Amino acid sequence: MSVHAASGDTWGISGPTFLRYYLAAAILVVVIAAYHRVRLAAGSTGAMTTDPLGPQQVAYLNGGPRLAVHAALGGLRASGAIGVRPDRRLTTVGAAPTGLTPLDQAIHWAAHQHARVGDLPQDERVRTALHQIRNGLEQRGLLTDDAQRARARFWATILIALLGLGVLRLVSGLFNGHPVGYLLLTLVPLLIITLVLRRAPMLTRAGRSAVRSVRREHTHLAPASAPAYATYGAAGAAMGVALYGTASLWALDPGFAEQAEIQRQAASGSGWTGGSDGSSGGGDSSGGDGGSSCGGGGGCGGGGCGG
Amino acid sequence: MTGPSGVGIGWRPEIAGFVADLPGLRFVEVVAEGVPASGPLPPGLTQLRERAVTVVPHGVRLSLGGAEPVDPARVGHLAAVAQRLDAPLISEHIAFVRAGGLEAGHLLPLPRSREAVDAVCANVARAQADLPVPIALEPIAALVDWPDDELDEADFLTEILDRTGALLLLDVANVHANARNRGADPLALLDRLPLERIAYAHVAGGAEYGGFYHDTHTDPVPSAVLELVGALCARQRPPALLLERDGHYPPAPELRAELDALAAAAGFPAVT
Repeated sequence: MSVHAASGDTWGISGPTFLRYYLAAAILVVVIAAYHRVRLAAGSTGAMTTDPLGPQQVAYLNGGPRLAVHAALGGLRASGAIGVRPDRRLTTVGAAPTGLTPLDQAIHWAAHQHARVGDLPQDERVRTALHQIRNGLEQRGLLTDDAQRARARFWATILIALLGLGVLRLVSGLFNGHPVGYLLLTLVPLLIITLVLRRAPMLTRAGRSAVRSVRREHTHLAPASAPAYATYGAAGAAMGVALYGTASLWALDPGFAEQAEIQRQAASGSGWTGGSDGSSGGGDSSGGDGGSSCGGGGGCGGGGCGG
Repeated sequence: MTGPSGVGIGWRPEIAGFVADLPGLRFVEVVAEGVPASGPLPPGLTQLRERAVTVVPHGVRLSLGGAEPVDPARVGHLAAVAQRLDAPLISEHIAFVRAGGLEAGHLLPLPRSREAVDAVCANVARAQADLPVPIALEPIAALVDWPDDELDEADFLTEILDRTGALLLLDVANVHANARNRGADPLALLDRLPLERIAYAHVAGGAEYGGFYHDTHTDPVPSAVLELVGALCARQRPPALLLERDGHYPPAPELRAELDALAAAAGFPAVT
């Protein structure tokens, strides 16, 4: 850093000057990105309710829309309302049971039309029911909303760009034989912070803790216990799938699961990490909703920063 | 650690969630070989212990009726499990499950000979020496009698209980099965058994096929067995009755109805 030969400066900016501005920019972006990341995890604290979560809500939190569909299938199969035909398409058996959720009804209808399990997440009624579940979970502050997640991702991206700029400078400096020690010392922690902030979780902290607590209350549904689904009923079967993945569906009825081409998967229980969501990435009108909920979020942001 | 009381149910991992939801439950039995001597307990059992529900370990592999001495390691496991669960007693069968190094894989009946009584009493004494709690002995069902039986069922049991000081675990469904399959009167057996020695009684479901009653533990409790429970309680009500269900578990309402019917037959408060 003691080299001051102006002609040799990388990009015509002296090391100390670059470092000063770079550090200032990095700190600013890190603070903003961290703020949005913390607020994302804190979620909206709008409608706090103590209503217990149903199996399909738990499934949505634990594995997204696809697991919610599988949980509903588990419940409907356990109550004997649906079956599968030799051509691997679903079918209904008898009249629809009472007490069905909107998602159950949508899937029951799709089964009546002989849909395949793989096509259910794209079915119009099923999508609508899944959106309802998602909105409910967002309102309860258990799922992060799309607008907030986009904002957190945006600032994480700026951070990555800043990191890229620093690396570029580092490489140029190295090629020109300039000292890069302090820059390197800046970039290493920045890289670590970026890695931490880069992930925009689907679940809020409350969402993760909700899944954990439901799982603690339902350890008896773990496939290792070979749970007696006949005793636990349709709700037990659905909750088993919600918490422990389609492995529970296979344990419940291997013939059905195989014929309906349901992949055997164990849920991790650490919550939905996104990715498998093919149906609800659009975020239709939720941009506007997100904006308004954001404006009222000052208090919760402060709380999140303190924590 | 209070002794078993009222109506209980055999705790099985498959129905742990059902058992946990029984508000009035004071007593369960657990297959001792399914409980680890160290390491974490099944979560369902821990919760029951936190509710101060009595948990009685029920051994099935000790082979008290074997000609060879009981395996000290198996007794040690029973003792450890009893201590972990803070159990007031443990129970085992008067049967053998292995002989000459061969495992039968299930409980086999003994010939009711003086020699067999000696063998059982010696093994019970060995087990009692290492167990921290009393033992209750359960006679098993048998479709046939051995040809060289010297004693009848009542004398055989009474002799063993008198000489060992052990408690009795009476299986009402077995009494029904044995009487039904031999054309004998179950009440006559009840009248000759030391009913005051009963720690608790087993009640299980069964089914008739091939002209025999089979003590399956996977079918509903037939009304004849419930009537026998009533007859037993009329003579001397045991401190507790335990519903054994080992498979083909019915919907929760049916299982609750069975527990209620059992409570009604014995005059115990409902646990559901």
